[in-house]
Amino acid sequence: MKRKRLLWLMILSVALIGFVTAAPASAARTVKVGFVYIMSGPFSAYGQFAKQGAELAVDEINSKGGIQGHKVKAYFEDSTGKPDVAIRAIRKLVYQDKVDILIGLDSSGVAKTVVPSIPQMKTPLIITHAATPDVTGSVCNPYVFRISVNLAQNVKAAALLASGTDVKTWTTIGPDYAFGHQSWEYFEKYLKPMKPGVAFLPQSEVAFPPFKTTDFSSYINKVMQSKADGVLVSLWGGNLIDFVRQARDMGFFDGKRQVLMTLGAATEVLTALGDKMPEGIWVGTRYWFLANDSAINKHFVKAYKDRFGAYPSYNAQGAYAALYTYKAAVEKAGSVNKQKVIKALSGLTVEVPVGTITIRKGDHQALTDATWGKTAADPNYPIRILKPIKIFKSTEVTPSVKDTGCKM
Amino acid sequence: MKTYKPAATIFSSLAALALLSACPFVLPTYWTLILTEILIMGLFAMSFNLLLGYTGLLSFGQAGFFGVGAYATALFISKGGSSLFLCLVISLAAGAAAAVVIGYFCVRRDEIYFAMITLAFGMMLYTVAHSWIELTGGSDGLPLMTLPSLRLFGMELSLYSPTNMFMIVLLVTAVCIFFLWRLVRSPFGLLLTAIRENKQRLSFVGAGVQNLRLAAFVIAGALAGISGCMFSLFNSMAAPDFLHWGFSARPVLMTILGGSGIFFGPMLGAAVFFGLEQAITNITQNWMFFLGLILTPVVIFFPKGILGTLVDYLFKKTKGKP
Amino acid sequence: MESFIINLLNGLSWGMLLFLISVGLTTVFGVLGVLNFAHGSLFMLGAYLCMQMMHFVPSFWAGLLTGPLLVAILGVVIERLLLRRIYGRDITFQLLLTFAILLVLDDAVRMIWGPGYHVVDPPTILSGVFSIFSRTYPVYRVFLVVAGPLIGLVLWSFFQLTRWGKIIRAAAVDREMAEGIGIRVPILFTAVFGLGAWLAAVGGALAAPHQSLAPSMGERIIIESFIVVVSGGMGSFPGAFVGALLLGLLESFGTVFLGRAQMAIPYILLATVLLIRPRGFFGREV
Repeated sequence: MKRKRLLWLMILSVALIGFVTAAPASAARTVKVGFVYIMSGPFSAYGQFAKQGAELAVDEINSKGGIQGHKVKAYFEDSTGKPDVAIRAIRKLVYQDKVDILIGLDSSGVAKTVVPSIPQMKTPLIITHAATPDVTGSVCNPYVFRISVNLAQNVKAAALLASGTDVKTWTTIGPDYAFGHQSWEYFEKYLKPMKPGVAFLPQSEVAFPPFKTTDFSSYINKVMQSKADGVLVSLWGGNLIDFVRQARDMGFFDGKRQVLMTLGAATEVLTALGDKMPEGIWVGTRYWFLANDSAINKHFVKAYKDRFGAYPSYNAQGAYAALYTYKAAVEKAGSVNKQKVIKALSGLTVEVPVGTITIRKGDHQALTDATWGKTAADPNYPIRILKPIKIFKSTEVTPSVKDTGCKM
Repeated sequence: MKTYKPAATIFSSLAALALLSACPFVLPTYWTLILTEILIMGLFAMSFNLLLGYTGLLSFGQAGFFGVGAYATALFISKGGSSLFLCLVISLAAGAAAAVVIGYFCVRRDEIYFAMITLAFGMMLYTVAHSWIELTGGSDGLPLMTLPSLRLFGMELSLYSPTNMFMIVLLVTAVCIFFLWRLVRSPFGLLLTAIRENKQRLSFVGAGVQNLRLAAFVIAGALAGISGCMFSLFNSMAAPDFLHWGFSARPVLMTILGGSGIFFGPMLGAAVFFGLEQAITNITQNWMFFLGLILTPVVIFFPKGILGTLVDYLFKKTKGKP
Repeated sequence: MESFIINLLNGLSWGMLLFLISVGLTTVFGVLGVLNFAHGSLFMLGAYLCMQMMHFVPSFWAGLLTGPLLVAILGVVIERLLLRRIYGRDITFQLLLTFAILLVLDDAVRMIWGPGYHVVDPPTILSGVFSIFSRTYPVYRVFLVVAGPLIGLVLWSFFQLTRWGKIIRAAAVDREMAEGIGIRVPILFTAVFGLGAWLAAVGGALAAPHQSLAPSMGERIIIESFIVVVSGGMGSFPGAFVGALLLGLLESFGTVFLGRAQMAIPYILLATVLLIRPRGFFGREV
């Protein structure tokens, strides 16, 4: 009796293991693209946008004959925003699904800790969202590329804007983790030589609310009571929404201070805020759907709007552009061989919706323009739009390879 | 009572070890990696179960010690350390040291209060990892730019190879599990179980309940430290997430899934957890939803966990009626 | 001076929100003996359902009235179907079962309302600002400072003065005794859990005009409400009030004085209380 049960149990478990390990039978040669974004949890909105952008690109490319005749097949994995889960997702894509290219990464922390493991997997990775300067700096490697605006480029543009104002003292309010602290650090580093007379509040007087904060009023109070007349806001997503609504009520936007929001022009934020977003505030973004009149951008915005009923966010553009970047690299290399694609990606120039970008050879950071603009109401749009739009040329805002600390 | 047969136990353990060490040569690479992760998290859960299953203490801050071990290894390597053995020793020592200090305050509390105070200290460690940017790299964590390599019989074995990594993890885990196995069967282990059953009676007979608990807490912390060390080597990183309460919930989950009353329960729980995750995420992105759905009946109807229920089922006949 | 007043108001209004959430949690623990991990999810559901109801009847008050009621009904279902099977079990099982409920509810919210952010506008009567010296302050925040103690007072009178309240307190002290004198404890437990869920949802609905709605809002609040409940004394009504105010004020003033260590404030409070007064401010020492 006992033995029989044991036998059944063993058969059952062997069958189970067989079931889960059985890899899907591979069809004819297709180009496999692995997308890793946050698909669940608090930031899953970013993954959803990216997935939409990616699906649009995949369908477009496949309907026009694929990449060099190969059909594109997309695999989506959830990074959940946690580094250990992200690396498991990447391993699955590389070892199980055997993808030819990896695209994605939202969180800077995930990017920084995952990037050093990419060379072991011998698969190129195109980062489209994570902004930490380190992945094309101190931890850079030949397998990793980034086509989105990084923190240094975005903040350099903010500093250029700031140098044109008559603000005497700057302070900041930003999330209490690397992104917030680095934004402030770089802002000071760039603005100081541009405008020597300007002052920056010391670390103890600036505001870094922890990420879980929903009540920003004491931080708003801290900034308002300081003597600063300029504020760099590096909050983003839900934090930024809460901050803007609460700050508005507390009279923060009363015109007495200059406000620069480094990620204020994100469509998900503008959509949620609607007319609660004050007008006349400088906001930055990685991509703005109205900032570029090129045929490619017009086509992308229309196709996206028709299919998903919303204006494309920067993350949607990132995933969309990454696949076209890969396509261009394969065509340049004449092959989907990973090593050849890596060679082709380095130094590649390609036109994507955000504009024409060039992936720099020295650190694999894309030279891409930084977009800023002033919020304005427009009856044609349900959300605040940017008017005027100010584009900072990539050559103006990208630090030299030497400054990034990248050694390939 | 089942009789304890040393020869049979030794034989079956060796057979299991042999079977496992064959895995990387037959399984696809990805499954070797998952198996490695199961072993690491399983050891972590087993160290946690020394507290829950054997001592009756629910710790909600065990990730703190896991994370301390991970950071100890990451820091050691980033400062130029290159010995795998030293990594393990340093992480063990760091986990144990943190557990001595924190355990001193925690072991005086019971039940929910113990859970809450361990939560508090675990989250304080998280805050340190998250905010002490100069040392820990802050929220970004510490990437490991190199891995120690192992010199064996004149060969240089790279830990970047999934097979080598699996073998090392299997070896370390097996040694730790053997230690735990001997421990819970020693007089010390029996005393721990006695605390769980009746704390007051034991204190009447003069056993230092708090010292015993502290000892168990420190051992659990040290083993969590070793798991953390292996985890940071395996993933080439140490991140603040490893210390968060959400991470502390994992061993609790795995232990209850597998069964806290059985020595290997937490290990099986880890295997089930990762197996389910792989199976479910293949079908849907709402893995958390289904995890909750699966967990609910387990908690309500199978309080002994999967392995515990299985063992009952298999040995129902052999269990002597009272 | 004005900064001090504003920080005080910030701390009070945040503390009152914490109180509303914690009082349900502590009542459920006091009577049922279950520490409910899913309480934060019920809080979140309160906010989302308030928003949803406002789509049908465009008034915040309608949402505040109906949303939490729906959550209370869900609470009743959860208690009847799931919770009652684990009373008297080890706390590990209670925490894990409610954790499983949390996983299901959080993901369900994301599936229903999507992963994006939503906002709820405060009612027009409360949407203005008034000035404190040279600064302005939102009326809605002051409304929270006033509403918190009012709801607290109503609850307190309910527990102290009404027959039902006395029965609940009796059942909390000794379940068997209560059964012995003819109280139908199972129904009472269901009602109390429904009440706890309702309170969490009221907290959520009241928080909705003040913070953006996202599927993570429950997870963010649950540990802090645990801290309030434990440091106030588990099951203690005044404890929840004092604990919530203390945590609210500490967090508000901590941002000014503590800098980088601010993140640790709740945990330092929790550990300190547990070391000095293991049963919390108002807990019965054993």
